Amino acid sequence: MARDNIFVGLEIGTSKICAVVAEARNDGTLKVVGVGSVPARGVRKGEIVDFETAKRCVHDAIVDAEEKSDVEISEVYLGITGSHIRSFNNRGVVVLEEGREEIDEQDLDDVRTNAREVSLPMEDCILHTIIQHYYVDGQDGVLNPVGLLGKKLEADFHIVYGIRTRIQNAIRCVKELELEPADVIINSFATAQAILEKNQKQLGAIVIDIGGGTTDFVVYVDGAVKQSGVLAIGGDHITNDISIGLKIPSARAEKLKVEEGNVTLGTAFPGETILLKDETGFAGRELERESLNQITHERLREALDIVKRQIEADQNLHYVGAGVFITGGCSQIRGLEHLASDIFGMPVTMAHALPMAGVTSAFENPQFSTALGLVKYAHLVQMDRPISGGLIRNAFQKIKGIFRN
Amino acid sequence: MVQLNRQYDRANGSGEPIHVKVVGVGGAGSNILDRVMLDGIEAADLVAINTDVQSLTASVAAHKVQLGRNLTRGLGSGGDPELGYAAAEEATDEVRSVLQGGTVIFLCAGLGGGTGSGAAPLVAQIAKEENALVLAFAAVPFSFEGRRRCAQAEESLLRLRAVCDAVVCFDNDRMAEITLPRMGIHEAFAAADLTVSQSIRSVASLMQRPGLLHIGFDDVCAVLRNGDARALFGYGEADGENRAHDALAKALKNPLMNRGALLEDTFHAIVHICGGANVTLGEVQIIMEELNRHINDQTQLFMGIGIETRMGNRLSVSILSSLGNGAEKPVAQRHQRTIYPVEPAPQPDIKPEPWKPAAIPIPLLRPPSEGEAVPTECAPVRAAEELMLPRSESEPQKPAQVRPAAKAEPKPQSAAAKKAEAKQETLQFEPISRGRFEKSEPTIIDGQDLDVPTFLRRNVRIR
Repeated sequence: MARDNIFVGLEIGTSKICAVVAEARNDGTLKVVGVGSVPARGVRKGEIVDFETAKRCVHDAIVDAEEKSDVEISEVYLGITGSHIRSFNNRGVVVLEEGREEIDEQDLDDVRTNAREVSLPMEDCILHTIIQHYYVDGQDGVLNPVGLLGKKLEADFHIVYGIRTRIQNAIRCVKELELEPADVIINSFATAQAILEKNQKQLGAIVIDIGGGTTDFVVYVDGAVKQSGVLAIGGDHITNDISIGLKIPSARAEKLKVEEGNVTLGTAFPGETILLKDETGFAGRELERESLNQITHERLREALDIVKRQIEADQNLHYVGAGVFITGGCSQIRGLEHLASDIFGMPVTMAHALPMAGVTSAFENPQFSTALGLVKYAHLVQMDRPISGGLIRNAFQKIKGIFRN
Repeated sequence: MVQLNRQYDRANGSGEPIHVKVVGVGGAGSNILDRVMLDGIEAADLVAINTDVQSLTASVAAHKVQLGRNLTRGLGSGGDPELGYAAAEEATDEVRSVLQGGTVIFLCAGLGGGTGSGAAPLVAQIAKEENALVLAFAAVPFSFEGRRRCAQAEESLLRLRAVCDAVVCFDNDRMAEITLPRMGIHEAFAAADLTVSQSIRSVASLMQRPGLLHIGFDDVCAVLRNGDARALFGYGEADGENRAHDALAKALKNPLMNRGALLEDTFHAIVHICGGANVTLGEVQIIMEELNRHINDQTQLFMGIGIETRMGNRLSVSILSSLGNGAEKPVAQRHQRTIYPVEPAPQPDIKPEPWKPAAIPIPLLRPPSEGEAVPTECAPVRAAEELMLPRSESEPQKPAQVRPAAKAEPKPQSAAAKKAEAKQETLQFEPISRGRFEKSEPTIIDGQDLDVPTFLRRNVRIR
């Protein structure tokens, strides 16, 4: 197998670490050849808190993926998340020098550099500069300005940045395992690649990935990333709430959440109970179903409310035509669809990755959306590079130098 | 509030060791004793006193006294307190010899039966004569055990009150809340025994343990003497970073506490904090501040702190109190005293009256109907019933004599019921906890710590 055709996406998640190996086929499609996944330890809220333990888990996940796909992994596309990741939109402007009227690729680079010239705190670094729209002499809707005539080139970018050292933790973890991080991508952006079709991006869509430790979201309007964010709330919080509220150990709370979790209020009969069996032989305990639902409901409603408020702060929800797409492990909680559509007031889809060839079970599980998105992203970048030099897809151009430690 | 300079005549002042004896009278008493033994108690003699030889043989207590060798011939007293009393009278000397030398005597008995109800007051009397401080832990029967047993228990309780320094009364009905209704009756009784045992052990140890702030028997008596019917007791032990929180939360979780809601009705409460050498002022502060939210402004708190290296990193909190006092209290007592001509003062030289069959009221076949005058003989039964009812005991009780008819009665009862209901609606205090996110970077948005469960921050009540 030619090495260029193999992409590996690695997601270091709070609940699980998974590596997806995919192969690009000649017809331009992607085939998933193997998925390695292990429960994560040493990761909290999407970030590594115990380096050695997390490293071991990453190693196990990679080995698992190698065994399943029969591919030796040397390069990974790494997903990044964490509450420190922030974003904003900025416009870059380039005025062509006297006597030159045709916009060339150098101008595109210049306008990007111009947009990136913002004062960020010392410890922060830019992760992505994603193109939204070009304007040539005030004319909008320009898809590719190269070759067009104009005096002034403007471009809107969505800039994602985070704390350098915290991003480097994940990178170092990968590097110490003799793996080369080909690229670093924020999770929400990768997830969107996996679950959104092009026309949905055009219509406008909100992608919310509720994972174990974080809720990552990204907003597409007119085919461009308008907004993204990370909220450090996830399934772990629900588990913790249940554990505190019903006074049961965390492990039991987790099991209860997965098996019985429901966010719809008023569906349980009054006094309906769940019998909590005890493996150790002691008497089981009865819990009121409505209490469990209430706890789960309160947490998820709050999380989605916060996401909505953050989106509404600089985006009119009316521009989002395709609706809300919820994915991630927590999207499996029953009743979340209704809760979310109640909050956002628009159609809500419980999404998983779009079908690809290969291991079907992988993309039918919303837990793997991000990892699959990483390979999809890698594939898109790869496809665009040789043809157009990455002009339209400059959005995906990465600045690797920053992360070289 | 905190009593620093109290004089301890017995418990602490002289420095001589306190001889604690735990005495179980009757079947239930020896069950509790077994529980105490199993759970372990330091430096205490355990004495089982019973008419039933079988039960006595099965007991694990070191000292055993058989009552009524000639009267009952090794059988039980058959639920007859009169017989129990007579049997105890017969063995007075034996009882006296086994109780000799005890400074503090804990008497535990299940009231309502024969031996427990009949013999316990006499045993308490003998203990008092031996110059010991007597603290009785009495369990009153479940209301479903029948009115007769309840009436017997009530009468016996009054006799105990008359002679003991303090009586802690455990309402089985309330203690049964520890267990699920579907659990066996056996387990329900076992759970009740466990609670009584826990409180005996903790009272014993809080008096024995050397303390920075010591709690003496006088404090215990002050708290319990006014007790009307029910003891509030909670014990919690925890370790780890949040042990102060956790220990208090556990103590308040005890069903006798009703999560601290009942503490509000008390006028005195003992809090004893015990831990290893590393107890910090901050932890004591946390416990006291949280506890203060449960009590009203008038409540007098007796705080004791014990340092025991044996505790290691653990921290324990014991809370002891009793319901019913203040404005309601005198009325209730007058009411009882007028019915039962029992000398109320706890004087050692007073002999409890021997049981007369007439003293035990015949159970009513039907409750007095509306408008019918309540005969005085029925009053004890009613009083007993009222005590058994699982409702707030702080309700002012009217003396039976001043009730010309039952007409006026329903009003205060419904008011009490309402009060109890309203109390359940109020939000219980839960210590703010971040659980597994205790040590991770907080997620703070709009000034709210999102790691704290949403339902706690929004005060959503979870049952």
